[in-house]
Amino acid sequence: MNKFTKVAAVVLAVMMVACCMAGCGKSSDGKAFILGATGPLTGDASSYGISVQRGAELAVEEINAAGGVNGIEFKFIMKDDKATPADATTAYDSLMDDGMQISIGSVTSGACEAFAAKAKQDNLFFMTPSASAANVIADRSNAFRVCFGDPDQGVLAADELSKTFKKIGCIYDTSDTYSSGIYEAFDAQMKKLGTSYTTQTFDKENNKDFATQVETLKDCDVIFLPIYYTEAGLIAKACVAKSCGAVLYGCDGLDGVADQVDATVTNEIKYITPFDVNSTAAVTAKFVSAFKAKYNETPDQFAADGYDAVYAIFNAMKAADVKDASISASDLCDAVVKALTDASFSYDGATGKMTWDASGACTKVPQVVTLKK
Amino acid sequence: MGYFKNVKKAFKLKNYANYIGVVAFLILVVVLNQFGMVNRSSVNLLNRIGYSIILAVSLNLVVGFLGELSLGHAGFMCVGAYIGCYFANYLGTVIESQFVVLFLSMLVGGLVACVFGFIIGLPALRLKGDYLAIATLAFGEIVRCIFKNLPSFGGATGLITKTYRPSFSLAIISFVTVLIMLIFVQNLIRSKHGRAITSIRDNEIAARAMGINVTFYKLFVFIVAAFFAGVAGVIYGHLNSPVSYDVFSYNYSIEILVMVVLGGMGSITGSILAASAVTFINFELQDQLTGNLAALKLIIYAVILIFMVLFNNAPSFKKLRKKLSVKEYLAAHQKKAHPEKIRDDAGAWDRIETKIKMDEILSVDISAQEPFKADSPEQGGNKDE
Amino acid sequence: MSVLLDGLSLGAIYALIALGYTMVYGIAKMLNFAHGDIIMVGAYAILTLLNTTGNPYIGLLAAIIVCTIFGIVIERLAYKPLRGASPLAVLITAIGVSYLLQGVAQLVFGSTSKPVAQPGYGSVFLFGANISYTTIITLVVGGIIMAALTVFVKKTRTGHAMLAVSEDKGAAQLMGINVNRIIMLTFAIGSALAAFASLFYMWQIPSVQPTLGAMPGIKAFTAAVIGGIGSIPGAMAGGVLLGVIEKISLSIPAVSNYTTAIEFSVLILILLVRPIGLLGKKRREKV
Repeated sequence: MNKFTKVAAVVLAVMMVACCMAGCGKSSDGKAFILGATGPLTGDASSYGISVQRGAELAVEEINAAGGVNGIEFKFIMKDDKATPADATTAYDSLMDDGMQISIGSVTSGACEAFAAKAKQDNLFFMTPSASAANVIADRSNAFRVCFGDPDQGVLAADELSKTFKKIGCIYDTSDTYSSGIYEAFDAQMKKLGTSYTTQTFDKENNKDFATQVETLKDCDVIFLPIYYTEAGLIAKACVAKSCGAVLYGCDGLDGVADQVDATVTNEIKYITPFDVNSTAAVTAKFVSAFKAKYNETPDQFAADGYDAVYAIFNAMKAADVKDASISASDLCDAVVKALTDASFSYDGATGKMTWDASGACTKVPQVVTLKK
Repeated sequence: MGYFKNVKKAFKLKNYANYIGVVAFLILVVVLNQFGMVNRSSVNLLNRIGYSIILAVSLNLVVGFLGELSLGHAGFMCVGAYIGCYFANYLGTVIESQFVVLFLSMLVGGLVACVFGFIIGLPALRLKGDYLAIATLAFGEIVRCIFKNLPSFGGATGLITKTYRPSFSLAIISFVTVLIMLIFVQNLIRSKHGRAITSIRDNEIAARAMGINVTFYKLFVFIVAAFFAGVAGVIYGHLNSPVSYDVFSYNYSIEILVMVVLGGMGSITGSILAASAVTFINFELQDQLTGNLAALKLIIYAVILIFMVLFNNAPSFKKLRKKLSVKEYLAAHQKKAHPEKIRDDAGAWDRIETKIKMDEILSVDISAQEPFKADSPEQGGNKDE
Repeated sequence: MSVLLDGLSLGAIYALIALGYTMVYGIAKMLNFAHGDIIMVGAYAILTLLNTTGNPYIGLLAAIIVCTIFGIVIERLAYKPLRGASPLAVLITAIGVSYLLQGVAQLVFGSTSKPVAQPGYGSVFLFGANISYTTIITLVVGGIIMAALTVFVKKTRTGHAMLAVSEDKGAAQLMGINVNRIIMLTFAIGSALAAFASLFYMWQIPSVQPTLGAMPGIKAFTAAVIGGIGSIPGAMAGGVLLGVIEKISLSIPAVSNYTTAIEFSVLILILLVRPIGLLGKKRREKV
C-alpha cells in the first residue's frame, strides 16, 4: 500500500501541475469577443439553463452571420452551474481562464448572486437573462438584467390581484431566493394596499406534497404562486385532488407549466411574462420562427430572455463602437455601461422594447398569459 | 535493544512524510505562482482541496479511528461556515486586516462547531452503529433546515460573505491550516490518547474493562472532528459567497465519507490523497459531466464505495486480497526480512487480526441493569410483539 | 380532521416503507440504506407503464415484480458477500448501492422531474372535509397489507422461520432453516411493499425524479427507529405517528418551515430517551 500511495501522490501532483500549466495558454486570442455564461444544465432547473443556452446560441449565430461587432465575431461559452452558488463560482473562474470579456451572467438567482459578487471584483459587464433577485444588480454598476426584478413582479401581482379578486391565497417556497424575493415585495405591497390574504409556505427540497397547503386555501378565489413551474404543476394537481377551483396566478417562473398539468386540471392558470409566443410583433415572430427552425421546438420565455440578453449586449457594443477584440473586460464594461444607460439607447427585442438605467434594472411592458384547458 | 531502535527510526520517517508532502506541494504551488503559471481555476481548486483534506482527515478521526459512522459531517461544516462567516461579516466592519478577521472567524466557527460536536457526541455515547449514523444524518439535516429559515443568515439566498482576496493567499492559508491540523491529529493518534481511541474502535467493552474513559474519548473525538469541520466551513465561506445551505446536504457528508473510505479508514495519508483526488476529479469533470452525464459521478462514487468495502471486508475476497496486496508481495519477494514494523495511522482498521477475542472471557454485559441470565433468549431483534 | 386524514395516509406510506427497513434490520441486522431508492425504482416502473398502457395497476404489478427482483439482486450481489463483516462496512455498501441506483436512474431517465398523470378519482365529502379517494385507497390498502403481513409472520411456517432467524441465526440454521433463503425472502417482501408505497407516494406527489426515494426513505427509517427497529407493529405505529406529525407541523404556519427539523428532532429525542424505540425490545449487549 505504501508504494501505491507514493505512486498515487506523484501521479496526482503531476496531473495537477499539468492542469495548471494547460490553463495558461487559453486566454483570448484576440480574434473574437468571448461571451460567457453559466446556468443549470443539470437537475430540475436545467430546462431554464438549456433554454437560455439555445436562445443565446441562436442570437450569437445570427450576429456572427451578420458580421459581428465591427467585423469581430462573438464566441459563446456556457458552463454548467447546477443552479448552485458554489458551482457558479467555479464556473466563473474557469470562464475567466478562457478569457471571458463580457457575459450574460447566470440563469438562476442564487447562482447569479455568486457570479455577480465575483464579476464585481473584476468589473466584468454582465446582463443576466433571468436572475431576477433584487440583490443581484443592487450596488453593482456592472450588473444588468433583461427580465423583471422580483420586487417588480411582486408589486405588480399585488396590485392586479387586489383589484380583481376577493379571497386571496399565496403559496411560496421559503427555500428559494426567487420565490421568497417576490413574496416579500408582494407582502409589503398587500399591506400597503390594506388587502388581507392567507399565506402558506413549502420547502421544495424536503416537501413536495401540497395537500395541506391547498386544503387551507381551498376557498380562495385565487392563489398567488411566485414559484417555479414544476411545483406549480404539483399544486395544480393538488387542487384537483382537493376540489379547489381557484385561479392560479404566477410570475415568469410559471412559464413551462403547460407541460406539467394534464387534462384533469381545470383551474385557470395565469402568469406574468414579458414574452408571448403568439405575439405578432416583428422581432418576436422572427425569433420564434428562427428558434423553431433551429431546434424544432417552441421557445419559452427563458430562450427569449437569453436571445435578448445577447442582442442587448451586441447593440450596446455597437453603440459604444468597440473595435478591439482584445479589449480587457473592465474597459469593455465601462464602455458598454456608458452606451447602455445612455438615454437614447433602447432595444426592441423578443420580449418587448427595453431600456436600462444605471441601477441595472430593465424597463419593459409586462403581459399576462392565460392558460386554460 | 536493536529491535526498538529500528522501530523508532521507522516511526520518524513515517512521522514526517505527510508534513513533507504538504510543504513540498505548497512550495511547488508558490513557485509556479511566481512564474504566473497558476490560473484562477487552479487557485479555486487548491482552496477546495485544502478544505476537503481538512474535512476528510477530521471525519477519518471519527470513522477510521473511533470506529463510529458519522453522516453529519457536512452539518458541522455548515455550522462553521454560517456562524464563522456571520462573525467575519461583523468583524470586517471593526478590524481592517483580512487575515486577522479570517483567523478569528476560523476560531469562532470552529468553536461553535465544537459545541455542536458536543451536542451530537452525547447521543453517540448511547447509540451505536446504524443508530448513530442515522442520528448524525438527522442532526445535519436539522442544522441545515434551521439555518435555511433564519432570516439573519440570509434565508433562501444564503449568507452573503466577504470573500478573501486574493484567493491565492486563501489557498496558502488553507494549506497551512491543513499542516497545523496534521500536526495536531498525528500527534494525537500517536499519543496514549490515540491508542485509547483505537482501542475503543477495536473493542469498546474490553477498552472499558481496561479502565479507558470511553465517554470522555468519544466526546473528545467528536468535538475535535467538529472543530476542524467548522474551520473547513469558514474557509469555504471565504471562498464562496453566498454561503448557501444547499451545499451541506447529507450527500456532501457522503462525499466526504467516500474520500475517507477510498483513502482507507484509519489512514491519514490515504485521506489526504483521496480528498485531493476526489476533489480534483470532481473539479475537472464539472464541465464535462453535465445533464444526464452528471449521474456518472454518482455511479463512480457508488462503485468506489461498494468495491472498496467489498474488497476489504468480504470474507470471500480474502484470497484475492492477499494476492493483490503490495505488502504481501514485497514480503514474499524481499530476501532480507525486515523486522515487523508497528504501523500506526496506516494500520487498516479492518485488517487488524489481533482483535481481542473477549467473547469467551467476558460474556457478562457490563452496561445491563438487570442481573445476567445465562442463555436467555433475549438476544436478537424480536420483531413480532 | 382533513389534516389528520392526510397525515394518516402519509403515515401509511411511511409505514409501508418502514416495514421494509424494520424486517431487513430484524433479520439481516443491517440498515438497508438503499431501501428508499427501491421506491424510486418502483416509481419509474409505474411511470413507464402508465405512459404506455395508461393503467396504474398494471404499473403497480410491474413495479412489484421489478422491485422484488431489484431487492433480491442487491441482496445477493452487495450484501451477501458481507455477511459477518462489520456493520459499518455493510452500511457503507448500502449507501453505495443507494447512490448507484440514483445514478443509473439519472443516466437512464434524466435528472429532471417527470410529471405523473393523476388517477383523477375525485373526492368525497367526509367528516366535514373533502377527502380524495386516493387518500382513502392508500389508507385501506395500507391497512390490509399490514394486517396480512402480521398474519403471515404469525401464522405461517415461513413466518415462523423468519422469526427464528431474527432471534438467532445459528440456532435457526441448526433447526434446518435455510437462513440465506429467509433473508432473501425478507428483502423480496420489503421491496414488494416498497412498490406499493411508490404508487401511493406518486399519488401524493405526482412527479418522479431520481432522488425521489431519498427523503421518504430516511423519514421511513426514522419512523422505524421511532417505533423500535425490528418490530413490525412498531414500524406501523412509528410510520403513522411520523406522518401525522409531519402533516400537523405543515399545517401550522409558524413552524411549517421547520417540519424536517421537527421530525428529525423527534427521532433524536426518542433515541436519547429510549434508544430501542417505542415498541422495541431490549437486547443484551455482548462482547
